[in-house]
Amino acid sequence: MTDATPFTRPKYVGTPVRRLEDPRLLTGRGRYAADIQLPRMVHLAIVRSDQAHARIIGIDTDEARALPGVIGVFSAADFAHVPDIRAPSRMPNYQATSCPVLARDVVRYVGEPVVAIVAVSRYIAEDAAALIDVDYDPLDVAVAAREASDPAAPRLHEELESNTVFTRRFSAGDCAAAMDAAANTVSGQFRLTRKTSMSTEPRAYVAEHDVGKDVLTLYGSTNVPGIVRDAIGRLLELGGNRFHVVAPDVGGSFGGKGSLYPEEVIVSDLARRLERPVKYVADRMEELTSGSQAFGEEVEATLAFDDDGRFIALDADILGDVGAYSIYPWTAALEPVQVAGFMPGPYRIPHFSATVRGVCTPKPPTGPYRGVGRPMAVFALERLVDKAASRLGIPPAELRRRNLVNAEEFPHRTGSGIVWDRSGFQECLAAACSAVDLTALQAEKARRTDKWVGVGVASYAELTGIGSRISVAPGMPMNTGAETAAVRIDSTGAVSAVFALASHGQSLETTLAQIVAEELGVRPRDVAVVQGDTALAPHGTGTYASRSAVIGGGAATKAARALAVKVKRVAATLFGVDPSDVQTGNGDIFVPGTNHSIDFPELARLVYSDMSTLPQEARETLEVQETYDPVFGTTTSSTHVAVVEIDPETLHTSLRQLVVSEDCGKLINPMVVEGQVHGGVAQGIGVALLEELKFDDAGQPITATLADYLVPTSAEVPDIDVVHVETELPDNPGGFRGMGEGGTIGAPAAIANAVADAVAHLGVEVNSLPITPNKLHALIAAASRQEGQE
Amino acid sequence: MMKPVAFEYVRPETLAEAVTALDHDDARIIAGGQSLLPMMNFRLVQPERLVDINRITELERIERTKTGLRIGALTRHANAARDPLLAEHFPIVAEAMGHVAHVAIRNRGTVAGSLCHADPSAEWPLLVTLLDGEIEILGSDGHRSAEPSEFFLAPLVTDIEEQELVTGVHLPLPAGPSGMAFEEVAQRAGDFAVVAAGAMVRVENDTFAEVRLGLGGVFDTSVRARALEGALTGQRARAEELEAALPLAIEDLEPNDDLHASADYRLSLVPVLARRALIRALHRATQ
Ligand SMILES: Cc1cc2nc3c(=O)[nH]c(=O)nc-3n(C[C@H](O)[C@H](O)[C@H](O)COP(=O)(O)OP(=O)(O)OC[C@H]3O[C@@H](n4cnc5c(N)ncnc54)[C@H](O)[C@@H]3O)c2cc1C
Repeated sequence: MTDATPFTRPKYVGTPVRRLEDPRLLTGRGRYAADIQLPRMVHLAIVRSDQAHARIIGIDTDEARALPGVIGVFSAADFAHVPDIRAPSRMPNYQATSCPVLARDVVRYVGEPVVAIVAVSRYIAEDAAALIDVDYDPLDVAVAAREASDPAAPRLHEELESNTVFTRRFSAGDCAAAMDAAANTVSGQFRLTRKTSMSTEPRAYVAEHDVGKDVLTLYGSTNVPGIVRDAIGRLLELGGNRFHVVAPDVGGSFGGKGSLYPEEVIVSDLARRLERPVKYVADRMEELTSGSQAFGEEVEATLAFDDDGRFIALDADILGDVGAYSIYPWTAALEPVQVAGFMPGPYRIPHFSATVRGVCTPKPPTGPYRGVGRPMAVFALERLVDKAASRLGIPPAELRRRNLVNAEEFPHRTGSGIVWDRSGFQECLAAACSAVDLTALQAEKARRTDKWVGVGVASYAELTGIGSRISVAPGMPMNTGAETAAVRIDSTGAVSAVFALASHGQSLETTLAQIVAEELGVRPRDVAVVQGDTALAPHGTGTYASRSAVIGGGAATKAARALAVKVKRVAATLFGVDPSDVQTGNGDIFVPGTNHSIDFPELARLVYSDMSTLPQEARETLEVQETYDPVFGTTTSSTHVAVVEIDPETLHTSLRQLVVSEDCGKLINPMVVEGQVHGGVAQGIGVALLEELKFDDAGQPITATLADYLVPTSAEVPDIDVVHVETELPDNPGGFRGMGEGGTIGAPAAIANAVADAVAHLGVEVNSLPITPNKLHALIAAASRQEGQE
Repeated sequence: MMKPVAFEYVRPETLAEAVTALDHDDARIIAGGQSLLPMMNFRLVQPERLVDINRITELERIERTKTGLRIGALTRHANAARDPLLAEHFPIVAEAMGHVAHVAIRNRGTVAGSLCHADPSAEWPLLVTLLDGEIEILGSDGHRSAEPSEFFLAPLVTDIEEQELVTGVHLPLPAGPSGMAFEEVAQRAGDFAVVAAGAMVRVENDTFAEVRLGLGGVFDTSVRARALEGALTGQRARAEELEAALPLAIEDLEPNDDLHASADYRLSLVPVLARRALIRALHRATQ
């Protein structure tokens, strides 16, 4: 065949394929854990501690037990057979906490589960909860991390040596000497207050025990079904063939559904004991008081630089308010240690030193939250960079340009030991800055009197798709570096791709289908992505840490590629041609320029059902399972630019423009990437301007409803410009970099810098987020008082 | 806790039936349910009987009276915002409704529900205070009415008895052509006001014939800035005069101080919003 018809195979990777999950989710046909109704199902309500730190003297459950409709009332003694939840670490001198599924003897935060009540309805369960009387003897509290870190402070866990559960130091070069010798330094004390991830769907669990088969299934709104399966399997001594965890549709997590929760263990155990399905749906107040929380760090940092603005040294002291228990499996080191790890950012900083401590406080445990550690690190560092810029009178973007790692310097090892592979640090900065007219903004800033206008830039780099060589959480002794894809063509010719991932808003049903479709030569809608079910999936842990596209997508690429080879081999036998002549595309298998053509259902029929067409040895099972482990990780970089306007009289702050340029390698689906950026930025706006969990001096949460814990609504989120930058692709099967978290990493710092720029003329600095009009008012008042005194 | 305790549910079809249904030890009216249900779900209130007045359609009307407009108790915020009579005589209502919560809540929430809930930051109590409204109340002893200053006693506390119901509010028409304006600062779009200000200005012969300024969110209840109003009446109708009177806007009361806004921040907003509202009202009055 000399003049074969040119064939252009449709491209799916890189195109904005409409989300395959949308018709289901947008028409209310999704099935979430709370939608599950099972015969004989009973309902769980939980009596939670109303004390931050107290000894349990007694629990009177008599009245509750007597209430008609109540099936059982359980306290710690009823769970004596379940070991405490402990998150071990390989970190030297790390003190792991013991967390009983129901508080035993002592409660350590307001919201901690104390009594579990099962009744025929949630209403009755809550009526019974109101009848339970827990007698507490209050213990002393040290609510603030700094206070709790004092060796003399009341100890939250008697069996531990101190509230400080770990201390870790990082050092590269000779930071102290470099600081002393440097021409300039800027310092600051930065704080990100506590937050919680607040997904639309609260946590919900239903456990069902098939008594006949002795199989227990937990349907749960989790993004780590594999981790939950292994953990509860160990606690309840159940093998993975007798215990399954299924994540059905999950309405967001943002980290909050990424840890093991006592409630998951409780419903699983009670479903077996009661031989009835047990359901628990957290209400919003429970989400705000017992869902995992995040941030709560204080960072004291100094950046040294020469007169040309070249960074020389960075020193940071990080105090993490980790809450009452170290969360499973990530440990209490998850957030604070990564603040230190990511502190050097995307810059060349030869000398680095950091000390990080994690302190137990009588507050809900902290856990993963979109961006983990990086939002704090980037906020602190990018504020310092802006302070350095203003000290030297160099434009902030220019100072960044001088210090960002250049293309020819990759791979670059940061002072904390993270290695950046090639990513478009400079390219992202340049792209973001050219999307805003910085000169015009400067002119407007000077001209306008009705509004204070401010512009803020933030650049960052993050490690995504982390492989088996690195712990996703520092010191965590669990390999989360691999995922497996099983891609199968069944006897109807339909394609299924099975993963242990658990999409909860990432569009994996679309993006993974795009990858498989492209490699295999079918259309995305021909591929059913099956995920979130440990009974069906090969080994894997779930969806978190910006890993699914890189690791899951890598496994999908490998498996679908290998399956395409099989398909071509079978077809070649059928057509009597060489396998290399066979192509696939659009659901067909063919030899270009000939009339050899067959579709997938027909090929499947010939392989599985037909008894004669193909020789027996050619009837290969059309199924491939492949695992991908990137070993290390790959770098995603980005620059955010925010423009804010502040009403000088009311201090109402509005975001006028937000530009994000990111290099996430090859885009699987630009629309999905933009959606992830938009969502991440919205979350970052909450971090910067609104969200704060507050506790009083007794450790009582005072932001326990959504009237007090303010999350951004669509009115607070401006249109976001996303600029895709694609530099050299990373060395992984698909050329993908993770990007699910990035929006939340850059936006807080960019917005903080923009607000700081807008109020700089008042001598006010932005060192703590969120920065609200109320706080700005106090800062401005303090600054003018000080000016008055001088 | 997000489930209410069990309650009896009654849905009268007429006002008379409603009055009978309310003759109970522990009955509570439900109108839009937008404030009551959250409180019931938190078990902050646990009424034994809920009296649902949503079927009493006569309470939904907005009508002209000899001296003003009568707004039925069940008028939804959204309907008030698009009512032609209100738009003609009290355009400030639609302006204020834009600040009340979100579309879904405005479609359910009612005028009387807001008045009876008596949140110090809510828009309706402020509007009724500003516009010298009269709150119409029905009980087993018949009808009575209350002025805003008698009706709103404290945050979430009103003068209404458990067996009574609000049937509507009467807004007297201003004595002549007027300008009105509404200003608000809230944390997010749709949040309860940190501070809100409503102004009404009447100008005759280039002088202020009448100036009214109402403030919400600052104190226990919505208030009128009587000192400022008195000082401006009779003055030349100029922005400078308004400006000069602004320090009088702050009443000698204890300002609210909470999680979202300190007393200082609130007080700093009072002259700002007062000026903006008064100046816009003056413009409208002289157009
Ligand atoms: C998220 C959210 C945001 C909100 N934001 C705002 C805002 O910005 N501004 C604002 O003003 N409001 C706001 N609201 C409240 C909203 O306006 C409510 O609709 C209003 O406060 C109550 O009206 P309702 O008809 O829903 O009353 P319900 O909730 O049904 O009742 C409230 C109270 O009034 C009593 N009641 C109701 N009708 C009568 C009657 N005719 N006679 C006697 N008693 C009666 C009830 O017994 C109850 O005690 C918000 C609500 C929500 C949920």
